[in-house]
Amino acid sequence: MLEPNSVQAIERIVEFCRYTRAMGFTAGVTETLDSLQAIEALATDDPEILKAAIRAEICSSKEEWARFDALFEQFWSGRSAQSSDETSRDRHARSVKVNSLELHTRNPLFGGARPSEALVDEEGSAAGGATVLERIRKTDFSRIPQADQAVLEELAERLLKQMSLRLSRRLRVAEESGRVDLRRTIRKSIGCGGELLDLQYKVRKTQQARIVILLDVSGSMNLYSLFLVRFAHALQKHFKRADTFIFSTSLRQITEELRTRNLVDALASLSQTPTSWSAGTKIGESLGEYNRLCSRKPASRETVVLILSDGWDTGEPEKLAAELCALRRRVKKVVWLNPLLGLSDYRPLTKGMAAALPHVDVFAPAHSLESLLQLEKLLM
Amino acid sequence: MSASHSLPDDNPIQNVDTLIRSFERFGYISDRALGTAVYLVVKLGKPLLIEGHAGLGKTEVAKVLAAMLGTRLIRLQCYEGLDISAAVYEWNYQKQLLAIKIQERSEKSVEEKENHVFSREFLLERPLLQSLLAEQAAPVLLIDEIDRADEAFEAYLLELLSEFQVSIPEMGTIKAVHKPYVILTSNRTRELSDALKRRCLYHWIDYPSAEKEMKIVAARRPHIEQELARQAVRFVQTLRRMDLRKAPGVAETLDWLEAAEALGKEKLDAPTVEQTLGCLSKSAEDEARIKAEGIERILSQAL
Repeated sequence: MLEPNSVQAIERIVEFCRYTRAMGFTAGVTETLDSLQAIEALATDDPEILKAAIRAEICSSKEEWARFDALFEQFWSGRSAQSSDETSRDRHARSVKVNSLELHTRNPLFGGARPSEALVDEEGSAAGGATVLERIRKTDFSRIPQADQAVLEELAERLLKQMSLRLSRRLRVAEESGRVDLRRTIRKSIGCGGELLDLQYKVRKTQQARIVILLDVSGSMNLYSLFLVRFAHALQKHFKRADTFIFSTSLRQITEELRTRNLVDALASLSQTPTSWSAGTKIGESLGEYNRLCSRKPASRETVVLILSDGWDTGEPEKLAAELCALRRRVKKVVWLNPLLGLSDYRPLTKGMAAALPHVDVFAPAHSLESLLQLEKLLM
Repeated sequence: MSASHSLPDDNPIQNVDTLIRSFERFGYISDRALGTAVYLVVKLGKPLLIEGHAGLGKTEVAKVLAAMLGTRLIRLQCYEGLDISAAVYEWNYQKQLLAIKIQERSEKSVEEKENHVFSREFLLERPLLQSLLAEQAAPVLLIDEIDRADEAFEAYLLELLSEFQVSIPEMGTIKAVHKPYVILTSNRTRELSDALKRRCLYHWIDYPSAEKEMKIVAARRPHIEQELARQAVRFVQTLRRMDLRKAPGVAETLDWLEAAEALGKEKLDAPTVEQTLGCLSKSAEDEARIKAEGIERILSQAL
């Protein structure tokens, strides 16, 4: 296939590594150099081994491993010219999607272009500013008028950030003195001939609770999803052990997307998945998938699971109940947050919600900024 | 460097294929990709991260590598809450206290007493430090299930893997005598940090094909009847295609064959399978699912 030591071969390999980077692999310049070093150390011209060496250097996860073969074939069979076109086409498609997401957030989500006369009417007095914010906090997401949307977003950002800071700070307060720190005690004792006059205590680092967020993004939750994703994003920023999943008919983990990018990018990349967002709902199935995923880990009894869903389910209520029961056995608390609880005349009568209720530790509303902030108490 | 001659394998690490053959002699069947990765570990001194489901031979790689190189295997089993005192070193407090008492009336200065009490005599060496201090030859350091440790530990490990030295406040910096060959395994229950992943070579171990699994059985349980092995492997391969909570790995196949043999069976039939199902299925739901599919039916597909 190629002469490992020829300059041309080296160039091609470097090009291939750059190609993988363009295709979303995390490998960088270091990995490229490492690949060349590996090839040199192998001193063979066996193509299978050379490929294996590059793969071992470039890949760093199962997903990349699975994609590597196809990319390798594509590149070395001389179709790399086409693929660079593809990259720019991908980029173009992505930017189109971002624009459509912006439209989506601006218009249908927030119920059309109703002017904010409501504000002027009710709060005519001088105390306008603060009271306006108060009211926006309490307003149901699905009924926020167009013009208030920006205010709500800013307010949400600020308050959620404060909440997560308070949470992370509180959880770091040490418990009262427990175990003796032998090492420091002994050091102190050397000067007094070994007498343990001064006991030094070990301050125990309280482990933060682990949070798992399961967010329903099906059609009926449409008006609330994007705000709840914000909420998940805020929690994740400050909880080191928080994971987020979205589900409608199946489950998908979005922890990394929310963690590594800022919110705008995260929402843009999420909108790229065509299937899961805004389709029907199978809560039981999705919980089942989560349970299966979980079964590989040793059970963590410090976990709190937040399910954000309105309970409208097209699957079987028995399955939902069974999976929820299995989940609850394994974790500390299951909290179900339902936006519909914000409606004064809501009763959990749908089969799905009714089946789930007995297996839930806390049932609380999640329809407005105010209700989300109440969760701070739950997460202690 | 040709791959096709069968050279006298005095040096198992002459090239990738001699390494693979040497592994086979130790009972480990590997493909060329894994062989290449292990070869690079030895040649370049880079650590290797092996990810994959349980029971597929991740840990075995390190054991066989140590056996092949004739060197020590040092194993660090990771778990949540693993910290420096369990992984790297700890002071032998009881011995120190005694020594302090004994030295009480001696003429030495406080500084001398302190140096004595914080010397290597009183140091409990845990696996990571042991791997640096191995005197004879570079050992194989196996860091098992790194995904069970936390991110703070990963950060510490990353530093260790770059510098191969450990800093002990009371003693100073301890550098490696021989740099160990490092193999990390992970069951992928969480994402490891990018920095760690990029520091290591990577290999994903997948479930083997029927053919490969037969070879593994032949290598590790040569006394098992061919026919029995063939049936068992096909049965397990079918189980893996079902959507079980925990698919059986190769370790389970081997255990199952041992069980069947211990029961004196030369062929598999439905009652035997039902009797020994616990070797393959590790949860009540999975067992129920398999029975619902019909053991008889799965077996007949396997014949």
